[in-house]
Amino acid sequence: MAETIAKKNALSDFLAKHKAEKPPKEPKMSRKERRERFKKRMECLTPEEQRYLRRKQVIDAVWPIFRAIIVFGLCFIILYPLLFMVSAAFRPRADMNDPTIMWIPKHFTLSNIKETMRAMDFWHTLGNTAVLNIGCSLVQVITCAITGYGFARYNFKGKSILFFVVIMMIIVPPQIILNPQYTFFRYFNPLGIYHAITGNYINLIDHFPTMYMPALTANGLRAGLFIFLFRQSFRGLPKELEDAAALDGCSPLTTFVKVMIPNAGSTFLTVFLFSIVWYWNDYYVSTSFFTNNKTIALMLKNLDGNLTRIIFGNDASSVNARELIVWLESGCLISILPILILYICLQKNFTEGIARSGLTGM
Amino acid sequence: MKKIHMSYEKKKGLYGYGFIALWFVGALMFFIIPLIQSFYYSFHDVAPETGALKITPLVDGLTGQKNMFLNYKNAFMTDPNFRQYLVESLGDMALNLPVIVIFSLFVAIVINQKFRGRTFARAVFFLPVIIATGPVYAIITGNLETSGNNSAEQFSTMFEADMVDQLLEFIGIYGFGDKFTELLTSITSDILNLVWKCGIQIIIFLSALQGIPASAKEAAAIEGATSWEFFWKITLPYISPMILVNIVYTVIDAFTDPTNQVMERMLSVQTEWKYGYSAAMAWSYFGIILAALGIIFAIMNKLVWYDD
Repeated sequence: MAETIAKKNALSDFLAKHKAEKPPKEPKMSRKERRERFKKRMECLTPEEQRYLRRKQVIDAVWPIFRAIIVFGLCFIILYPLLFMVSAAFRPRADMNDPTIMWIPKHFTLSNIKETMRAMDFWHTLGNTAVLNIGCSLVQVITCAITGYGFARYNFKGKSILFFVVIMMIIVPPQIILNPQYTFFRYFNPLGIYHAITGNYINLIDHFPTMYMPALTANGLRAGLFIFLFRQSFRGLPKELEDAAALDGCSPLTTFVKVMIPNAGSTFLTVFLFSIVWYWNDYYVSTSFFTNNKTIALMLKNLDGNLTRIIFGNDASSVNARELIVWLESGCLISILPILILYICLQKNFTEGIARSGLTGM
Repeated sequence: MKKIHMSYEKKKGLYGYGFIALWFVGALMFFIIPLIQSFYYSFHDVAPETGALKITPLVDGLTGQKNMFLNYKNAFMTDPNFRQYLVESLGDMALNLPVIVIFSLFVAIVINQKFRGRTFARAVFFLPVIIATGPVYAIITGNLETSGNNSAEQFSTMFEADMVDQLLEFIGIYGFGDKFTELLTSITSDILNLVWKCGIQIIIFLSALQGIPASAKEAAAIEGATSWEFFWKITLPYISPMILVNIVYTVIDAFTDPTNQVMERMLSVQTEWKYGYSAAMAWSYFGIILAALGIIFAIMNKLVWYDD
């Protein structure tokens, strides 16, 4: 015990000593001196090297300015609609007709937002979307991860054919297979014998299983892409991890849960965010399976009609196209706000996760 | 009872089936069978009926004979819009593809460098991925057009396409500029759409750029490569597989976009309950895209360099 303490002390003494012995700073040179020193150094070099260094100097000086302009310009283009959204959502409709107002409205109002929320039945819609969206995304991320792991680490007969099916899932547009899927859910026949026993079909249209069943079996929205991403990221992890776990007596499933999942955290996050976004923005598939489902994307798509029906009533003709923008932009704002907040919270992990994820292994 | 001996490899294979079993059941129910069904529909007359779909063989109205390919024939010969939409959407795709790929590569290289505010710039560049897929995008672009202060227009004045035209006319080349100008103006005035479409491609390129080993960068720096040489001799070979991936992604994205004309026509046919006809349209469109992808693949595969 005493020995170790003595060792530690010796070490810290050593460190302290060497810290103090930092080389003294070079005296600051004037500009002229520096230029002369540079000239002297340049004289020792061949003309090609000189040319290279000069060019590098120029590029190093100019490029950051150029880059700053490009980045700023492109950021502006991307943020422009969002800024306009915020600007328009809080201005009274009369301000739309005022040519002196570009960005900052003269009057500030919350009534657009309130009316739009009423037209969209916002809280009910939000709850409904959240149940569908977050539930499906969570389930889908887990099932896709399991499938991706199977494809990444195990060899079995027919693997290449099955993986080809995954690729096909990415390529084939959902529009092609939507009709047969609709028939499947409309005349749902569990195990293929339900109809034979009862003489009836189960109508699943307008019920949550139409969205949950595909998600539960890793066949939801863009599932092919997610399986592919997971496969890439699991393939990028070292094989020794599993061998070590297997030697310690872990079954494959425990290995997956306890060793692989913690190591693929950033991929999970990325896929989860993508999945939530796509479910959130989807209206095509959900309108096919639901006759009257209130999801954010659908309500936003039909906002125009709902506004006329619920808010404007008989005054509908007095609202011109420019004034309508105020309500539409409010609708956009409150629709994207939840995922925007989610994105801002997860943003750091997300961008890092993408840079580091197994995407590169493709 | 005899104990069954299984090799480790075989056991592992069985576990593999276990891991993908859930997906396979789902794929069978929600992907493979519907795919086959829709292919089957495309050769038949399908109409909804109480109870189930009614599927009857196709009969040519003129000759009264059975004709399996009638749906396909109608789509290409009789339909007034389908062929035109098809050509237009393929043309759009061919035009946008190189622009999107080059632009997203450029942006990825820029935001891969170290500078102040990089985290913020990255977060902003990924923003379209979050928003651009939904109806929000439609409202945004619609609004920007009606509200008059369209940013894309402001930016297009930066690239004065007419100058090129005038220069060419000055040299003595007339008319050449028209097509070129059209291309250039369509790109520059479309820069808003362009930036909003490139989110995923930028992500893919960015992760590819991060995959370039530091040793390659070091070696190039020691040899005195300029950044221009570095781009052509180091960056491009390393990310060439990703260029292929991005091309495929861009084509598929344009192809599955419900707002593209062919898709719109297909959906409108679907709402008229002509399932067979819409399936035939979808399959012929899909076939053409697959063929295009195959050609791109065959050409690109020779140019792609794999680091093995």
